[in-house]
Amino acid sequence: MAESRVLGLVLRIRAFIALGVVTLVFSLLSPEFLTSGNLSILVKHVAINAILAIGMTFVILSGGIDLSVGSIVGFSGMVAGLLLSRGLVFAPFDSVIYPHAWFVVVLALLSGMAIGAMNGWIISRLGVAPFIATLGSMYVARGAALLMSDGATFPNLAGEASLGNTGFPWIGTGNPVGLPVSVWIMALLACGAIFLASRTPFGRHVYAVGGNERAATLSGVRVAQVRLRVYVMSGFCAALVGVIIAAQLGAAHPATGATFELNAIAAVVLGGTSLMGGRGTVGGTLIGAFVIGVLADGLVLLGVSEFWQMVVKGLVIVLAVILDQFQKRSS
Amino acid sequence: VTVRVSRASVALLAVVASLAVTACSSSSNSADAPVGPKRIAIITPSHDNPFFKAEAEAAAEQARKLGYEVLVNSHDDDANKQDQLIDVAIARKVSAIILDNAGADASIAAVNKAKAAGIPSILIDREINVTGAATAQIVSNNYQGATLGAEEFVRLMGEKGSYIELVGRESDTNASVRSRGYHDVLDKYPDLKMVGKQSANWDQREAFQKTETMLQGNRTITGVIAGNDTMALGAMAALKAAGMGHVIVVGFDGSPDAIASIKAKEMRATVLQPAAAIARMAVDQAHRLITNGSTGQPEKQAVDCELVTVANADQFGVFSRK
Repeated sequence: MAESRVLGLVLRIRAFIALGVVTLVFSLLSPEFLTSGNLSILVKHVAINAILAIGMTFVILSGGIDLSVGSIVGFSGMVAGLLLSRGLVFAPFDSVIYPHAWFVVVLALLSGMAIGAMNGWIISRLGVAPFIATLGSMYVARGAALLMSDGATFPNLAGEASLGNTGFPWIGTGNPVGLPVSVWIMALLACGAIFLASRTPFGRHVYAVGGNERAATLSGVRVAQVRLRVYVMSGFCAALVGVIIAAQLGAAHPATGATFELNAIAAVVLGGTSLMGGRGTVGGTLIGAFVIGVLADGLVLLGVSEFWQMVVKGLVIVLAVILDQFQKRSS
Repeated sequence: VTVRVSRASVALLAVVASLAVTACSSSSNSADAPVGPKRIAIITPSHDNPFFKAEAEAAAEQARKLGYEVLVNSHDDDANKQDQLIDVAIARKVSAIILDNAGADASIAAVNKAKAAGIPSILIDREINVTGAATAQIVSNNYQGATLGAEEFVRLMGEKGSYIELVGRESDTNASVRSRGYHDVLDKYPDLKMVGKQSANWDQREAFQKTETMLQGNRTITGVIAGNDTMALGAMAALKAAGMGHVIVVGFDGSPDAIASIKAKEMRATVLQPAAAIARMAVDQAHRLITNGSTGQPEKQAVDCELVTVANADQFGVFSRK
């Protein structure tokens, strides 16, 4: 009895244990790993995947999946790039307006939310399976990103003082109170998401829809509305990442974000969220994202070849799912 | 009902065909233009890389100038998709295929298939690992270009100091050829030390993150040498973010973005591959082959690369001299 309880506990906090193990291994193998400089860079790299994965957690908790997030990253980055380099063109009046950098960010975020809303609408109102609906929008958003510049990169997003649109790169390079902007965004988003998932009616509804849709409907949850909202949230998170990456590179490239959706799903699953929906936590997802990030950066720091990095990452994900099966059986 | 529809479409087809014939006969007035609607297929990797876009556009422009109809497609570095595009080209009875292929070994069968169908392939930018299958293989001399870039890197570094190297996708031939060219020069200088080497898969964001991570153990580096320009630009962004904008960054390709960065005194040098010129050469040779039965050139042709620095950056346009 006690033994199985210990086993259950180990399985429940397995992502945390995994994080501890990889951190320990890398800090033993590389003297630079546990330096404050490296940890700050590490958290900055993790933030990219973690922000995507937070949005993805709500989608998966509701019993869905969002394959379009990687394309939304590319699309929203290109929206920002387009607005900063070419401005808003009003053809009938033959005039170009260069919006302020902050307004550019808002529009880029709205573009991601719009794609998310489209996903949510197709899934909740037209009854298309999430896998198919978001697979479709994955291609559409990527194609649209490529069309925006005919495949080219928007190279210089610093803006021009004469046009009044400078300041965008700050999101990528700024360090308010000693931490990169992307880390602040991740932290705020994580706090908000944890609160939302565990302390609000909306959070309970997401779990209810993913756990047993029929029961949720019967108890008065507006399933379609919940579904719509989780995809909008996921689109918002993806657009945030698109903006952050474009700001970090000072350039927007339409192919940015390819396969990011898989990294985000991997973080969610590693964090113990069930792909069937209804079971999991935002905190688990964060730890999952850290496990993947520590592995990636640690292996680079050790100079391990790219090919081995892929093998190790794959093995860790499969191992996590095997443990998930154990946990289901033991509980 | 179906009969009536198909009759209508036959009539429509007839009109379209007669229009096409008139269009062709009117365009074939000049002396050396081909008779009839001859086509050239141009197949390259994805146009989201300005390099491939430039070569595809240069080839298409030259082919149109010579009176050909062009089919431009991208195989996205997927050998299977390339194979399907070759099938389409064979079915459309093109006169020649200009191909920047999807893999030195994976493309051999597709090129042989076109040959068996009587269609010559002119390969550009990347070679395949057999001779006799393609009519011509025109590539920029990656090894020569890499030694050129490395020599400039050595000069800028003052023959000493530590550096990191960013390699292209490790399964890609050009990644290893360039890295070998770099090291055949760099390794001759005992005071130049490589303290980190990672593949960033030709990708700007990956180069950014991996450079940031590698900098952690190596704050004292004075140089970064990259297998292409997008990775060099990613490294440059990471160095600037770390307050190390003075570090010497050298890339490869001669992309417009890299040349702009050199002019802005950020990156120090790149090696320009004359991709547009090579694409035009390929179309010219295809044209000679179609009209005279021979390209007049050996199968394997290498075109030298050129060094771009702040001193001569003004002389270069989109993957060619201005």
